Amino acid sequence: MRRIILFLLFAALALMFTVNVIAQEEKVLIVGLSEDYHSLDPSRAYEPGGALIHHSVYETLVTFPPDSVSEIMPGLAERWAISGDGLVYTFTLREEAAFSNGDPLTAEDVVFSFNRMKNLKDNPSFLADTIESVEATGDLTVVMTLNQPDPAILAKLVFDAFSILNAEEVQAHGGTAAEDAAVTDTAEGWLMDNSAGTGPYMVGSYEPTVRTVLLRNPNYWGATPYFDRIIIRNLPESATQKLALEAGDLHIAMDVTPDQISSLEANPGIEVFSTQSDTLIFLLCNKDPETGGPVTNPLVQLAIRYAIDYEGFRFLSGKGANTPAAMVPLGFAGVLESSEGLSRDVDRARGLLAGAGYPDGFRVDLRYPDFNYIGTSFGVVAQKVQADLAEVGITVKLVPEEFQTSLAAYRAGEQGFSLWLWNPDYYDTLDYVEFLPEGVVGNRANWTAKNADQEILDLRDAVKIETDPEKRNELFRKIQIYEQHHGPFVPLFQPGVHFAYTAHLKGFYYNGQWRVDLTQLSF
Amino acid sequence: MKILKVIRLHARRNPLMFVGLVICILWFAVSLAPSLVAPYGPLEQNIRKRLQPPSANHLFGTDQLGRDILSRVLYGGRISLPAGLLVVVSAAIVGTVMGSVAGYIGGAWDEILMRITEVFMSFPIIILAMAVTAALGPSTINAVIAMVVVWWPNYARIIRSLVLSVKANEYVQASRAIGASRTYILFRTILPNCVAPALVMATLDIGNAILIFASLSFLGLGPEPSAAEWGRMVADGIDYFDQWWLSAFPGIAIFTIILSFNLVGDGLRDVLDPRMRKALTR
Amino acid sequence: MPLHLYLVRRILLMIPLVFGISLMAFIVANTIPADPTAANLGERAAADPEIVAAFQRKWGLDQPIHIQYVTYVKNLLHGDLGISIQSRRPIMEELARYLPATVELATAGILVSLVAGVTFGVISAVWRNRPIDFVVRILSLIGVSAPVFWLALIGQLVLYRNLGLVPGPGRLDIVLTAPPTVTGLYVIDSILAGQWHILANALAHLILPALVLGAFSMGLIARITRSSMLEVLSLDYITTARSKGLREHLVIIRHALRNALMPVVTIIGLAYGNLLSGAVLTETIFAWGGIGLYAYNSARTLDFPAIMGVSMLIAILFITINLIVDMLYCWLDPRIRVD
Repeated sequence: MRRIILFLLFAALALMFTVNVIAQEEKVLIVGLSEDYHSLDPSRAYEPGGALIHHSVYETLVTFPPDSVSEIMPGLAERWAISGDGLVYTFTLREEAAFSNGDPLTAEDVVFSFNRMKNLKDNPSFLADTIESVEATGDLTVVMTLNQPDPAILAKLVFDAFSILNAEEVQAHGGTAAEDAAVTDTAEGWLMDNSAGTGPYMVGSYEPTVRTVLLRNPNYWGATPYFDRIIIRNLPESATQKLALEAGDLHIAMDVTPDQISSLEANPGIEVFSTQSDTLIFLLCNKDPETGGPVTNPLVQLAIRYAIDYEGFRFLSGKGANTPAAMVPLGFAGVLESSEGLSRDVDRARGLLAGAGYPDGFRVDLRYPDFNYIGTSFGVVAQKVQADLAEVGITVKLVPEEFQTSLAAYRAGEQGFSLWLWNPDYYDTLDYVEFLPEGVVGNRANWTAKNADQEILDLRDAVKIETDPEKRNELFRKIQIYEQHHGPFVPLFQPGVHFAYTAHLKGFYYNGQWRVDLTQLSF
Repeated sequence: MKILKVIRLHARRNPLMFVGLVICILWFAVSLAPSLVAPYGPLEQNIRKRLQPPSANHLFGTDQLGRDILSRVLYGGRISLPAGLLVVVSAAIVGTVMGSVAGYIGGAWDEILMRITEVFMSFPIIILAMAVTAALGPSTINAVIAMVVVWWPNYARIIRSLVLSVKANEYVQASRAIGASRTYILFRTILPNCVAPALVMATLDIGNAILIFASLSFLGLGPEPSAAEWGRMVADGIDYFDQWWLSAFPGIAIFTIILSFNLVGDGLRDVLDPRMRKALTR
Repeated sequence: MPLHLYLVRRILLMIPLVFGISLMAFIVANTIPADPTAANLGERAAADPEIVAAFQRKWGLDQPIHIQYVTYVKNLLHGDLGISIQSRRPIMEELARYLPATVELATAGILVSLVAGVTFGVISAVWRNRPIDFVVRILSLIGVSAPVFWLALIGQLVLYRNLGLVPGPGRLDIVLTAPPTVTGLYVIDSILAGQWHILANALAHLILPALVLGAFSMGLIARITRSSMLEVLSLDYITTARSKGLREHLVIIRHALRNALMPVVTIIGLAYGNLLSGAVLTETIFAWGGIGLYAYNSARTLDFPAIMGVSMLIAILFITINLIVDMLYCWLDPRIRVD
């Protein structure tokens, strides 16, 4: 009897040992991320965290080089032609491209994907507004017709919402690209645990708020990636990500805060990558008197721009942070230098307030979504705004809100005075026209044709159709200078973005569109 | 001189309770006039001096916006203490009224009350607090409201069982025999006997209430974000794990105050001793 | 009233209780002023009245409030708690997935607090007023006084980061996969599947959270045990046992402890209920995917069906445990009846 037990014990140990050995053979990458997506349906994709995943699982017609956003490169389309009037784009697809289930890529898949994305009318669908129609004119030829010239359309096509899905497979699971897709499409559930893309990885599983697992796509048409499995673990606290990275439980921490950098850099086993981000953190003053109250007054808005301690915000945000001069972030064509921006002038601010009829200041609520955005804590930023404005006599009451609630109110233009951020929807300065009257953010501040100066309306209309780069930059300059002295927005800062990863990791490149290309990493 | 003698007597008889009382009184004193003791204002930001470790200028260091942590800890009592007290007092009043009426009248009302208290007690306070906060906005008073809603059943049940046990007593029977009205009996004989155990329970509870309040504010459900409140300060400190002083000191403050209330409550219980211990353990 | 009738009565009374809870959950979820339509549709979709109408129809939001409640209760009776707006999955399924994590944590916490608490209490009572008594009483005081979230942070800082004695957040190391689901409790499932290294890992991950969660109850149990033991030890039958020559440790364990543990039973019940419902703080800090974290996330994202579902679950768990404790109490002490 005793011998049997001993034998069983030995067998169990041996089994354990083999299982462990086998497990170690697999190459696994572990990423720590603060999960900001709820769905893995690429046609609804709108979050930076989601972009990380979609970029590994799906592919787009055109793409950017690994570490920049200034050049358009072939993706699933190996070449394309643009008609003389700029309205017709003809893409030729790669013959060798195939989906994860083996189906070859055809033009029909592109047509399906684009139409589905447009008709789902979810967050990213506005990117397809300038697209009139998409047609398959051959097995591997797609013709896209625009309804107006759009110099930024190729940059838009890199966005993960334009990912190409396997039309057959998605339709088999309830997907549709019909006009009423917003109501009739039921594929989102299936797309949570599965994927139908051409990329180097497939979705293995998705446990919301816990982890997302990507598995190597055995049918990938391109170069085999290094890792067999990628685990993206949801760790909402940067502190937890740092702890796990230091202990060797993580290979990459995606949400490092500037305050953690010095201690991470001191660690020989960890590399830190810091760069300027494209995010713009700003204050919105509503131009509708009923909603905005005192901040509706243009003199007050200017006063606030003079009251902010810009240098302090740079200090707060740490390495890589910068102050934009107006409502265009640094790094874009035609942007003003940071030094051309306004500097803090408390006395002038007070003077302006007195001129506006508020010699003793006033009280106002500052609404904001209470969350951390890639290392920037909105709560901390709001508290500093409160302190800065207190020095010129404005008493700010902080009103932190849950993200979705705040977003809904912000979109509806119901926030009088709020703190928000803007990420470029596509990499062209034209995107920042949204901060002008009747632009997306302009509307949220109720800046309409009725209450806007003719000057800015003219500038806006001109820059939308101007194609000459020099003339465009000149127009953008004028727009930014206008925004500095008039206009309902206050640019606070442009945060740096930081990543920390184990020193063994090779192939790390930062790209503004998808942050890190997981498919290029190796040990 | 006599006062010193009295103090020394109490201190010797029950040293722990004495320590608790001292800490309690100190915190109350500080919270009444923190500006006398605190070196800086609680909202005074100094961005250039952020995240400094404890030093001569800043005994507890500075936080993420350069505010002096010692000062904020000292000011923290201004929110937590009254909040905890308010919760307990409100809950005790509501609970005592409900419990004594139910216990005394008995019958169907008693059953209904017991079920209602069970429903309220079992409801998760976090969700309730979040709902109240979402509806009315995050603030101290709203957190207090949410807590009272979940807190009063405890008192109701205890008072009720006390009332039941006293009701069976002989002198109550005697009172009824001589024709005293129900109200008279309730107020003059039953309730006074419930005060002592309720008091002990309340004292022990204040610590708990402060703790739950700090927990709610830790989750972002309490006072305004920049306000100096211990729970919130501990939560803020999590993002700056390397700068341990952000979370450690407010946490110690919460700890000491709860400890002191527990010590005082323990002492009170020992003093008012055996009869109610049975009632309290149910 | 005879015991079995009392029990039947209590169980029957659960029914109106559950209705009461469902009503309260419904009211609470609906006081939240946020509009789930605006919060869950993309911007373009929210501007399109057709899509908004379809969304409202789908989630029954276009019905008057009392009809919504009736529909909810009807579905409830079929075991359908609705679909989470955030994740698009059936809430029943999600709760079933997250509940075992909390059960595992709460059970581990209770075991820790029970073992440590009773031991401390006995030690403290038997060696009353000796130095060891003071040490134990101070530990118990610390347990009841220290805020859970603070203990958790300090624990992580010291034991995980500085000393490396315990593993990091989560139920398992990041690279490991969970054992095949039978109960959802990793400890049990890994034993059933024979995955010993997963078992070891799961147990290691349980240590710190269980200690932190159990600290409060440990202090409570220690104190109650102490006072209960003191009372019992002074009773006549103990003196009798000693005078009969029975060895001291037998006196304590066999005679005193058994009777002293009665009040502890109630506390355990309350504590277990509290742990099950109050693990939000611990679960958030330790990234423990249980219903506490689920409750917090659904409240935060204003996911009404999920809020209602998880509130009901927590509340029902609480009253069920209370009921069991009451029954246990009646059974253990034949002298006690009804109230």
